[in-house]
Amino acid sequence: MAKGLKADKSKCTGCQVCALVCSATHVGSFKPSESRIRVEDKFPEPADFKLNYCIQCDEHPCVEACPAEAIKLDEAIGIYKVDKELCTACGSCVEACPHSGIWLDPSGTYAIKCDLCEGSPECVEICPKRVLKR
Amino acid sequence: MADGNTGKVLRVDLTNEKITTEPLNMEWAKQYMGGKGLAARYLFEELKPGIDPLSPDNILEIWTGPAVGSMVPLTSRYVVVTKSPQSGTFLDSYAGGFVGPEIKYAGFDGIIIKGKAKKPVYLWVTDDKAEIRDARNIWGKDTYKTEELIRKETGQDYARAACIGPAGEKLSLIACVVNDLTRNAGRGGAGAVFGSKNLKAVAVKGTGGVEIPDMDGFVKWAKEMFLKDVVENPDHAGSITDGTPIIVNQSQNAGVLPTRDWSTGEFEGHAGIDSDALKTRVFVRKKACFDCGIACGSWSKVSKGRFKGAATEGPEYETIGLCGSNCGMGNIEAVVKFAEDCDRMGLDSMSTGSVTAWAMDLYERGILSKKDVNGLDLKFGNEEAYAKMPNIIGNRQGIGDILADGSKRAAKKIGKGSEKLTVEVKGVEFPAYDPRGSFGMALAYATSDRGADHNRAWPIATDAYGSGDPFTSEGKAAICVEDNTRTSIKWSFIFCDFYAVSWPNMAKYATAISGKQTTEQDLRLMGKRIWNLVRAFNVREGFSRKDDTLPERMEKEPLPVGKPKGHVVPRADFERMLSEYYALWGWDSQGIPTRKTMDSVGLADIARKVPAIK
Repeated sequence: MAKGLKADKSKCTGCQVCALVCSATHVGSFKPSESRIRVEDKFPEPADFKLNYCIQCDEHPCVEACPAEAIKLDEAIGIYKVDKELCTACGSCVEACPHSGIWLDPSGTYAIKCDLCEGSPECVEICPKRVLKR
Repeated sequence: MADGNTGKVLRVDLTNEKITTEPLNMEWAKQYMGGKGLAARYLFEELKPGIDPLSPDNILEIWTGPAVGSMVPLTSRYVVVTKSPQSGTFLDSYAGGFVGPEIKYAGFDGIIIKGKAKKPVYLWVTDDKAEIRDARNIWGKDTYKTEELIRKETGQDYARAACIGPAGEKLSLIACVVNDLTRNAGRGGAGAVFGSKNLKAVAVKGTGGVEIPDMDGFVKWAKEMFLKDVVENPDHAGSITDGTPIIVNQSQNAGVLPTRDWSTGEFEGHAGIDSDALKTRVFVRKKACFDCGIACGSWSKVSKGRFKGAATEGPEYETIGLCGSNCGMGNIEAVVKFAEDCDRMGLDSMSTGSVTAWAMDLYERGILSKKDVNGLDLKFGNEEAYAKMPNIIGNRQGIGDILADGSKRAAKKIGKGSEKLTVEVKGVEFPAYDPRGSFGMALAYATSDRGADHNRAWPIATDAYGSGDPFTSEGKAAICVEDNTRTSIKWSFIFCDFYAVSWPNMAKYATAISGKQTTEQDLRLMGKRIWNLVRAFNVREGFSRKDDTLPERMEKEPLPVGKPKGHVVPRADFERMLSEYYALWGWDSQGIPTRKTMDSVGLADIARKVPAIK
């Protein structure tokens, strides 16, 4: 059973406040380009939003693909996290992920993905339409 | 910089194809904040008085504000500031969506564009730099296609673009600037200023961030404000459930819903265009601007019939009132089609609906013949003819060529009494509230700094929609002065109109962003400074009491039904409100700020530069 965020996408309005709070929490800046969740607005067709984030899938192909063994299990909350120090930004994880859940930061120095904010995700707390759930 | 600002301004000289970056004038940022105030200060300084707004001499500014891109709620807007080709006044026109924050993330607080490109171009702004790019392949395309082509050409799927459609290219004075398909810096003809500079779009993609002094403390508090003061704020309930279309029934009940070119304020077909009609017939999903917990916008799509496939965000109240009831149109699906075509053409739907309604009126009165109106049977409510109008106007075809410059200028060409029927102030068509049923709105329209407007003061909230008396001149001046002061500050952060943010909370936000203790009194003084600065700009352009007027119909033609039945806005009441308004602002009897007033709000230097201010 995947342990990551869950989303009722039909309720999403595309406000991206999840990305704002995520970047503020992780990098101390209001900087959606460094957010661990990405919202894509697709209008006029199909008039939908696509939410990209790590669902913490059981198969974790990113872990298998990483040559630096930089994606490690955090046993306290039972999910895989990127170790920034070990990551070489080779991009193998990005290619391996079928869910568009991991990508390189804008400067291309390391891979970023949702770490569930140590167990209580900020985006879940602030989402005004209760789209996101833990 | 950790004060919400990026500290940088981008300057673009289209004539000489020169781009430079300069530091933000911090002294001015302290005195005028950002957005409206700061842009007005730059424009006052740099624009020569009396220039033709469509000449290369005009200046086009695009500004954000210190809160834009941060977690201060509902601060997605950017503002286009220029001298309006429609009104000849200062123009500040705002749009939500995603462009504002993107400009900040690219590293700029504002962009100041001068001159005229030799051939069609667009400005491509990325992290800390910009380039002028060839737009010959995009010129002529509608705004949807323009965004698509820019994304393809830049290789950035989520590049954001403030662009014009064919209407702006053809210098229509009711052309707007469009971003994110459906978000418009709508009023006053800013699209024509883009067009006059051969500027198709300002496109931007940024990966930087916005910071303020105490990030951790602020984020904690901002989260609380986002939920308590936005999502759970009872003042936002209607915006969350319905958005602006909820106003249709309020206006219908108050008898102020513009109907068939302002001939009455009640529309028998209102149930076909009200919020319930929208929700049950065309609603697809809610859609928000960046950083908004309200999501007042509705994505709408027509699923069957003549207009099958038409889609838009909205239509919003102003569009429904002016393109719906005012055109005798009781079919929300037709209004969706009309709104989509306005967006694609890059036309302000408010003025486009208004000139369409006015042309229908002239047609029904026999002032315009079928031949004059491109062979259309342009009767009120005739869907087939109606739906063709945005394209006809945007492309300047036949009657569209005349209507594309707004009703005031069109009337000069048409004559035959049509001049007496225009419903505008300073050439800008009315918003969708009949002032004969809300005397406060009469004053708001006459004294707005950019022509008839509802976003500088909205006294209808307390008179026709509230418990106040809509038919008295009493107390309306004070409401307008307070609204002018508050909106001057709101449009400088830049907050969205739909955030019912209190003065004390604005002071807290200002303190958090700047790191300097800011009180409500500080902000009030700043609001007064901004409003007086813009007034001084308009005075320098020759505006005074003689221009703060109402169209004749409002004074002579009583509304026939409903609560305002038999009412006009009597001249004596109007003049009394106007005199009181000037007195409250500390302006002389002609509406010119006095030296004393200018000094008291910190504008002594500005006063010295305007000969009429004594």
